[in-house]
Amino acid sequence: MGLFGGLDISASGMSAERLRMDVIAENLANADTTRGPNGGPYRRKEVVLQEGGSGGSFAATLQGVQGAQSSTGGGVEVTGIVNDPSPLKRVYDPGHPDADAQGYVTMPNVEPVTEMVDLITASRGYEANVQAMNASKSMFTKTLDILR
Amino acid sequence: LGVTPELTHSMGLFDLTQTVLERALSGSAERQTVLANNVANANTVGYKRSDVDFQSTLAQALDGPGAASQGQIADMSFTPQTDTSATMRADGNSVDMDAEMAKLSENSVAYQALISIAHARLQMLSTAISSR
Repeated sequence: MGLFGGLDISASGMSAERLRMDVIAENLANADTTRGPNGGPYRRKEVVLQEGGSGGSFAATLQGVQGAQSSTGGGVEVTGIVNDPSPLKRVYDPGHPDADAQGYVTMPNVEPVTEMVDLITASRGYEANVQAMNASKSMFTKTLDILR
Repeated sequence: LGVTPELTHSMGLFDLTQTVLERALSGSAERQTVLANNVANANTVGYKRSDVDFQSTLAQALDGPGAASQGQIADMSFTPQTDTSATMRADGNSVDMDAEMAKLSENSVAYQALISIAHARLQMLSTAISSR
């Protein structure tokens, strides 16, 4: 981890939070989509985050697994975007083109309130990473003062 | 002939204090990286926060009968430790954003203070050398 490791870590946090925001926006936009890519209704998507690799060295990874000592860490990584397996909503709406014989429409399992709360979490997380980055930056700038 | 006083902690131009300041700066920079990593992983399921306690590592090296020599202190390194005492959320994550941000700004200010002291001491040395 070089001198600018802190900046890289904060940058990884910022891009992860922004991806979460993108996925939340997609969920909100598709809250009423009854025809998803697989024919059925849209399913809510979620981002899976994982602690970033510790520079890839075997010793560091082993120490991390053993839990005795943690390495400095390499920020955060997105391991994937997964579908939420929770049950889809059934809404009575006989006039809907996708209604079944009983008049029920299967709607996406997107809950707008949950999405809004997640959006706030992602937004605050992003801001915190910006703050951390600014703190690291002012430290590096101050380091240059020692040469004056 | 005059007796030259024995300089126990001297390593030439730079004294023990300067070496300790330099190590503290390195420890503080390491801590900044670790705290930034905690903030980046604030929403990672199962993540446990880490911290670097460079102050007590340095204090231990300077204090007591087993005090380290200046050379040993110059070679000191700090390893981050997983904080097992921190309270965990339901998702297994132990990062408290407010506490993390407070530590981050505290560490940043401490680092800048260390830089100012190190700089002032180097300035004094430079004045002594230039003898003007």
